[in-house]
Amino acid sequence: MTQVVQDSPLARPGPARRTRRIFEFKSDIPASWRIALGVLVWVLFFGLWQLAVWSGWMTEILLPGPGKVLGALYTLFAENGFLGDVAISVGRVMLSFALACAVAVPLGILMGSFRVVEAFFSPFVSAWRYLPAPSFIPLLLMWFGAGDAQKLALLFIGVIWFLITLIADHTKSVPQDLIRTSVTLGGSRWQVLRTVIVPAALPNIVVAMRQMLAVSWTYLVIAEITAADAGIGAMMMRAKRFLHVDQIMAGILVIGALGLLFDFLLRALHRAAFQYLEDYS
Amino acid sequence: MQTDTILTVQNVGKTFPTRGGAVEALRDVSFSVTRNELCVLLGPSGCGKSTLLNIVAGLEAPSTGHLSLEGQPIHGPARERGMVFQSYTSFPWLTVLQNVEYGMKLNGVPKGERRERALHYIELVHLGKFRDAYPKTLSGGMKQRVAIARTLANAPEILLMDEPYGALDAETRWHMQEMLLEIVRTTHTTILLVTHDIQEAIFLADRIVFLSAHPGQLKTILDLGFKTGRQIRSKEELVQLEGYPECEREIMRLMRGEASPDDTIH
Repeated sequence: MTQVVQDSPLARPGPARRTRRIFEFKSDIPASWRIALGVLVWVLFFGLWQLAVWSGWMTEILLPGPGKVLGALYTLFAENGFLGDVAISVGRVMLSFALACAVAVPLGILMGSFRVVEAFFSPFVSAWRYLPAPSFIPLLLMWFGAGDAQKLALLFIGVIWFLITLIADHTKSVPQDLIRTSVTLGGSRWQVLRTVIVPAALPNIVVAMRQMLAVSWTYLVIAEITAADAGIGAMMMRAKRFLHVDQIMAGILVIGALGLLFDFLLRALHRAAFQYLEDYS
Repeated sequence: MQTDTILTVQNVGKTFPTRGGAVEALRDVSFSVTRNELCVLLGPSGCGKSTLLNIVAGLEAPSTGHLSLEGQPIHGPARERGMVFQSYTSFPWLTVLQNVEYGMKLNGVPKGERRERALHYIELVHLGKFRDAYPKTLSGGMKQRVAIARTLANAPEILLMDEPYGALDAETRWHMQEMLLEIVRTTHTTILLVTHDIQEAIFLADRIVFLSAHPGQLKTILDLGFKTGRQIRSKEELVQLEGYPECEREIMRLMRGEASPDDTIH
């Protein structure tokens, strides 16, 4: 018996077995490895970037090194009042997203709950989903000018249709037996909606919001690059005019950092609000 | 003997329209349930027993026939006909106590009375220690106990149960069945329970309403005479009882559709 096991490929000793286990499908790796690998990819990225600068592949005006970009970032905040631009951008995302949620959450829940509402709105919403929001920019510019209204409208159009669809789908997947339980306990239609459907769908609705908020940031940049006198995108377009590539890159960095921050905040909110959930992932 | 009928099912039929034409799930089913009795709906798969229970609950409408509870015709779901499902239906965002209070809250039972009743029924299903726990920390059997306590606390006239122990492992199922009998003895609840498990049916039932399949029709009603006058508390007691093997064999034969209508127990 022992003989057989030792001869089998399963009993292969030491390192070979270990690599095998690391590349096992979906098998877990130690937490320290996960952190180390996560840091490593960034170290590699910045290292290669710096190497590209040193090699003189492009002039430093077009490709400034990581150090220079960080310097530009500091200057932007400390001397150029960049914080104001950031605040304006964040404000635009928040306001347009709040408006989108104010429409999408109730409408999505109603569409997911009642077939009539779904039959009425679904063909309309589905069609709009396939119209790229940026294609409305020329129209929006003519209707609203280059001001805030145009940007809010673009951000709104950019997320609303997907948000409605996702929320409707999550509402639809509320288990039928939960609804039937409430109904056989004497729940009225309004009571079922308020005490079963909304709380049951809410965790997934917050996940949908998190996903669509990330999309909202994408449209923000598009809106601000097209026409704006303030905001992160506007700063980047100003920097382009003066060939301040370091500032453009600093802008990209800030947008990325903000996106991550909001994603993190919504994750934390989800975890705090829905502690009762079976498995949070 | 004075029979006190609480639920009457009269000539109930149900036809579902499908793409391939109408499918007849139930045909001309009539039976009644007596107050304080535990009546089991049993039959092979496809006999429409769950459909029939849904019709009694008011979750589906019958195509023909009519139903009444305490003489009042049944239209749609209501508090009087509380239902326990096979799937776990504890609301995950509510604690055990809040789950059990839920139905009473819907029906406007004042807070003090609500709390008192909830605690009583939580004790009855032996979940006292878990009153403030969320369902995610409970086992499947405990979740079903929450569902039973929640429905009973809501004071239904009849408790409907749709294969309530179908998703549980064998050992848990025994405990749950024994607990249900204990509850019936202390609370005198009227129960209509659907199962496809023969032993469960014999163990729990005062009477078994047996349906045959395709379409679901009333085949026979079994009175389980060998159990009368006995207080059976455990599965072991049941299987040792005189008359049990015969009864089980009889039902097995019915399940296979081999028995002729005249050699069944009326």
